[in-house]
Amino acid sequence: MEAVLEQVEQLPALLAVSRSALVRDWDALTLDRALEWGRYFQHLHDRFRTRPRLREALGRRLRRGQPSPLLGFPHLGRCPQLLGLALLENRALPPAACRRLIRGLLQPAGAEAGPEPRSLALLARRKAASRLLALPSGPPRTPEGMAPQLRTEAQLLLSRLREEVQEAEPAGEAAGRLRWLSGVLEELPQPRAFEVVAAALLLLLRPGSDAEQAGDRGRDGKSLDRNQASATGDEGVAGLLLSWLLGNLERFSAFCLFLPGSLLVSLAGHYSQLSRPYLDLLTGWGSRLLYDPLQGRWVKSCLDKAELSWEELRERFTCLCQGSALLRGQTQAALKLLKARDGDFTVCGLSVWTDLQMEVEEYLRKEAKR
Amino acid sequence: MAQGTTVPKLNFEYWLDKAIEWGQATTLESQKDVCLHLPQLQEFLHQIYETLKHMDSIVAIQQFPLIGQLLGRLCWNPFVIGYDESQKTLMWCLCCLYSSEPQNPVELKANSWIRSLLCHLLSSSKWESNEAETSTFISTLGYTSADYYCHLVKNMVFPLVTELRGNQFNGLNIQGRVSASHVNAVSLFCVPLITLPDLTPLLETLLLYHGGTSKEILSSEFLEAVNEAFLKKKISLPESAVFSLWLRHLPSLEKATLYLLDQLVTIQFNSLEEVACVIKDSLLPQAASHPAIFRIVNEIFKNALLETDGTPEVMTVIQVFTQLFLQAHQNENKRKFPLKAYFPYHHQPLLTALLRRPFELPTTYWSQHLKHISDMLKALVEDTNISSLADLFEIWFLVARFGEWLDIAAEQLLKAAVEPDALLWLLAFYYCPQNENQQRTQTMVEAQAVYKHLKMLFSCTVLSVKHLEAAVHGIMNIEQRCNQHLITHLLTNFLLFSSGGHMIAQEFICHVTETTDRSKEVCSLLIRSAYRINHNGEENQGTVKLLNELLQKLTLKV
Repeated sequence: MEAVLEQVEQLPALLAVSRSALVRDWDALTLDRALEWGRYFQHLHDRFRTRPRLREALGRRLRRGQPSPLLGFPHLGRCPQLLGLALLENRALPPAACRRLIRGLLQPAGAEAGPEPRSLALLARRKAASRLLALPSGPPRTPEGMAPQLRTEAQLLLSRLREEVQEAEPAGEAAGRLRWLSGVLEELPQPRAFEVVAAALLLLLRPGSDAEQAGDRGRDGKSLDRNQASATGDEGVAGLLLSWLLGNLERFSAFCLFLPGSLLVSLAGHYSQLSRPYLDLLTGWGSRLLYDPLQGRWVKSCLDKAELSWEELRERFTCLCQGSALLRGQTQAALKLLKARDGDFTVCGLSVWTDLQMEVEEYLRKEAKR
Repeated sequence: MAQGTTVPKLNFEYWLDKAIEWGQATTLESQKDVCLHLPQLQEFLHQIYETLKHMDSIVAIQQFPLIGQLLGRLCWNPFVIGYDESQKTLMWCLCCLYSSEPQNPVELKANSWIRSLLCHLLSSSKWESNEAETSTFISTLGYTSADYYCHLVKNMVFPLVTELRGNQFNGLNIQGRVSASHVNAVSLFCVPLITLPDLTPLLETLLLYHGGTSKEILSSEFLEAVNEAFLKKKISLPESAVFSLWLRHLPSLEKATLYLLDQLVTIQFNSLEEVACVIKDSLLPQAASHPAIFRIVNEIFKNALLETDGTPEVMTVIQVFTQLFLQAHQNENKRKFPLKAYFPYHHQPLLTALLRRPFELPTTYWSQHLKHISDMLKALVEDTNISSLADLFEIWFLVARFGEWLDIAAEQLLKAAVEPDALLWLLAFYYCPQNENQQRTQTMVEAQAVYKHLKMLFSCTVLSVKHLEAAVHGIMNIEQRCNQHLITHLLTNFLLFSSGGHMIAQEFICHVTETTDRSKEVCSLLIRSAYRINHNGEENQGTVKLLNELLQKLTLKV
């Protein structure tokens, strides 16, 4: 067993090498060996999937060899693809080895009677399918629907996070996990990262439809009370994502600026940790608005893009008041308090909060009439 | 088509021109054209691969200088890549062209280009800017493009399915949320992807989709391709979807029926259970619960029978099909049409009598029932109104498809104490429906003679082949074919059901199969008897044993 554990510890190094320029010296034989290792790890995965103690042991050893948790036990199952595709993309691989690689990828050794997902021809086919299915430009998608690419990225993120939360040692690792998550999300341009996180948080609210799609690979073998484990797991995952969001004020501020009001209201409605900080943020932005008597409206004090304009602010507050009862109550109370603090004016142009409250209530009245 | 190892140059240029014409298949015409050519293209790629795999990469480029262009262009056509196994073959071709020891910059460049193409097909492509960010993110998570695209396709199928299904619940397409041209486009883009398992929910939804218009919305390429895939068992669809396909696309139904007939007639079957199994799997008997489908299938069967001059194989298929159809109809829970609706132009009392399944009546009543059928039939046929050959054929076809009763008639003649004339007439009619030149009357006379002879021998416990020789002479010498069939039928039953016949059955049948060409017919009769006995269960052990032995021997020979 110790021998196996030692071998498993080598996987991160193997992957790292396959992505580096060190492959320059590889010949066909070396490549064959690398692919064989890939298959061996996959075999280990298949054998130990249903044995929780061994899984854990292997998973732990795997993490030992890495600075940040890049890989866990489930990745052993994906080894041939991870290796194969990494090598394919590595331009430093010499021709002889590359040729062997291509052959190896197209014709996996041994009886490929296993599940189809492991076939690369299927991958090419699916990639083409994704192009074809995107072609018919029909009526615009309903707003409730998430764009498929976004949904996919969110699903994969969730799947990984679920693995992290369940497989890794609990408690003490929280800070490390957060760092890792930050690192991962930094791979995306920030607006995209925000969209993905928001989508992931929304997907967590609908466990049924999502369970089969994402996270299957991570959770196979856990024959425990699945609902129980997955519920607490999901809480952990949500907690992690929210920590990332709320941990950095600048980031949170950018998040709230970038995403539309309706989406934020939806999130704040389900994740109460978000409502207070969001309101505080809006309060801050609102207080920095100045009244321009010449134009007769509220304007930004400096044309700093990282803040909301009056119209946007109004729209945000309106959305909030159309959210859940709790949220609506919180918002209206906040507005009342702010208006009072400013002097409780009833006339326009003196306090931004007075004006806001007036316009929001006006809008809601009109909506109610319709 | 493949001529040895050389791919005809003409084809190469043809396909290269096509590839250039198609581009990335962005216009509707090019898309339709690609869909039409996908199977041949796959075949062609396969031929190329077979040629390339024996060659060195340098030789390959020398012999096919334009191959790079062709493969490159095809790699950018998602219809081609999405289809069946084309992507596999393409990638193999690329692999063959990759040089493991590049000697010059040209080869190096070619290698690099092949590498890029493969990356384009399998992971992230440097030619597509939007893929770069996603792919780093995915790989940092520890996943590969395999995982990504697996989920992505599902996530793309799901909203399409919801969109289409959602429209159904609105009833009429008043809101027009999904336009007919949109649905048509979706169906076209699905054509290459039909055998991709992720798409099955979408296929199902499309097949069950009915817009507001009476015109067919789905593209015919799609309907044909789905039918083809279903027939070759490359996909499995729920019954409702298959029925919907056949109801909306007549050519598919025709193809399915002919395919079934073809399958059953070319393969040698050892038992009717096997035949029944194949027919049931085809879903046609179940589909025939829709009267429109029943009518079409019926016509095709009739034509097949006429074209093959009434071969027993085709007749057997029709008989088993009819039985299965009746079973399926009985099991149908939703709204059912009365059985008479499927046979609208026929004499109702006769039809009702034929529709009774034998197991619904006590065995002692069978001969009476058959007499009833025979009498009605006789009255119908000898009525001067039935003048045209077509009408006669219709009546004959109706009776013939309920072959069970005919077989039972032959059995009853020998097993039970019956008045023979009515039953003999029934059989005579079956084997010889026409009577312009008194053929049927003649048949009847001769049959009666043979029958009397057999009945006399029935009680003999010891028989020899010589005793039956008179009857054998009857088969060999009588010119009329219909008589040969009828007598063979009676003889076979005699051997099965008389104790004397048991003794000499093996020997006699051997003799018959060697000296006449009746072996297939005898085999067919025995198979039908076996099937009937297995399902009705009432028969003495001796007969069952004999039957199995005879069948074993015969199926080896035939």
